[in-house]
Amino acid sequence: MSLVAEAFVSQIAFLQMCNLPVKVVCRANAEYMSPSGKVPFIHVGNQVVSELGPIVQFVKAKGHSLSDGLDEVQRAEMKAYMELVNNMLLTAELYLQWCDEATVGEITHARYGSPYPWPLNHILAYQKQWEVKRKMKAIGWGNKTLDQVLEDVDQCCQALSQRLGTQPYFFNKQPTELDALVFGHLYTILTTQLTSDELSEKVKNYSNLLAFCRRIEQHYFEDRGKGRLS
Amino acid sequence: MAAPMELFCWAGGWGLPSVDLDSLAVLTYTRFTGAPLKVHKISNPWQSPSGIQCPCKKGTGRGGAGDQSVMQTSMCGQARILLINSFSISGTLPALRTSNGEVISVPHKIITHLRKEKYNADYDLSARQGADTLAFMSLLEEKLLPVLIHTFWIDAKNYVEVTRKWYAEAMPFPLNFFLPGRMQRQHMERLQLLCGEHKPENEEELEKELYQEARECLTLLSQRLGSRKFFFGDAPASLDAFVFSHLVLLLQAKLPSGKLQAHLRGLNNLCVYCTHILSLYFPRDGAEVPPPQQTPAGPETEEEPYRRRNQILSVLAGLAAMVGYALLSGIVSIHRATPARTPNTQALGMAEEDEEE
Repeated sequence: MSLVAEAFVSQIAFLQMCNLPVKVVCRANAEYMSPSGKVPFIHVGNQVVSELGPIVQFVKAKGHSLSDGLDEVQRAEMKAYMELVNNMLLTAELYLQWCDEATVGEITHARYGSPYPWPLNHILAYQKQWEVKRKMKAIGWGNKTLDQVLEDVDQCCQALSQRLGTQPYFFNKQPTELDALVFGHLYTILTTQLTSDELSEKVKNYSNLLAFCRRIEQHYFEDRGKGRLS
Repeated sequence: MAAPMELFCWAGGWGLPSVDLDSLAVLTYTRFTGAPLKVHKISNPWQSPSGIQCPCKKGTGRGGAGDQSVMQTSMCGQARILLINSFSISGTLPALRTSNGEVISVPHKIITHLRKEKYNADYDLSARQGADTLAFMSLLEEKLLPVLIHTFWIDAKNYVEVTRKWYAEAMPFPLNFFLPGRMQRQHMERLQLLCGEHKPENEEELEKELYQEARECLTLLSQRLGSRKFFFGDAPASLDAFVFSHLVLLLQAKLPSGKLQAHLRGLNNLCVYCTHILSLYFPRDGAEVPPPQQTPAGPETEEEPYRRRNQILSVLAGLAAMVGYALLSGIVSIHRATPARTPNTQALGMAEEDEEE
């Protein structure tokens, strides 16, 4: 599972929701082309913008916005839920990638070090792992076990599920950037193969979240022919 | 009979029941729920029951440094008394000692424990309100907390004139020299790790960005609160405890460099919210703020025992150093007075005198 994948899906979903045509291009030096070093990013005319937050602002400045119809209270709630997703889901994914020994050994180390020759691949992978572990300690996740992390993911999904309820999108009938962000994360969790299925099982417990993902996939991605959520 | 729960937290200052964010949050929650806790307000983290205890006790569990340890100690009555008289090198505050001797030092875990003991401020919340609580707490942690750390511990003026001053004056003698500096380094490291991903070109830009997001967060909180008394109606919930602790520190502390403070003061409903909770749940501490004549006298009388003792100690230390140096270097030498002289020596002495003349 890659954090890049979540960002990618979130951004594509957001742009599709704004009815903005988007073309996906793969480049080997994408990281260096991006202004913040993070991929993916969008390239519009002679401007380059990366990360969902700045992209939303950029698109808003061009006159497209998904959250104009929200009142102040709803906008506050939307921002809060986006932070919840960033805080819990993103951190949990980072934890799984770098602090869960099984995943690290089987998937992450190999993938992270693959562009580099030996011994650089091992050194960089260990360095990155050490950095991530330091960060986890700073935010209080250092001593958490995998079960506790999965419980946090469950809590987060429960909160999202309760907020969504029976509505088609988080804020009634129109999707917002929150929907794009949540879809990005949940879709990636559900469709990425890991050493164990515990994470995706947690999400699958909530039928309305599953239905939400399917709905967005069918609505905005059907012409791509991807029907991976079944 | 189970012992009552005891809460150890940082002492009060600046017109607040506690100067520490986490202690304030936990204290506020206990007041909201009316939990019968024995509150120890201390200004010496080495007296906290968390962390590594010295001398070591026989017990199971991981002894960990800092705020991630949940120590489970199985002790008999005697050992527990010893515990109170021991100190812990890496103890942190706040810390809760439960009725069976377990020590919890992570604020969220303290609140979870209180909930388990049936002191639950979120009992009446609907599922959706519970979800909102989680979301807004994440918002506070991501957007407001880094800036609070920066305002109180990293900003040079604030740190020197407000934070370090309080901690150095409150802590006992040897600790006040190095603990505030150590706490500052820990906070700086935490902030760097929290915001490290952004890696901007210079610190000023990062600062600007952080403060911008914090201002936005305050505005969002204000919009969400609206004109209500609490976030979820008429009764306070755990979210109110956390929001209150974050806001009131910023509001009440007299910061020389308070960019965020000015923005917060502009959000009227948040100010009213804070003063309302302060006057309702912490009437004694809140009353210290309005009369300005009392405040200069108040802290002075509190400091006096420390100041007098420190003065006497320093004078004694100086005297001892001077006398010791004088003796060792021979400037002053002590001779024992000899008993009455024998006649021979007396005659010799007189003869010498004659010769000299």
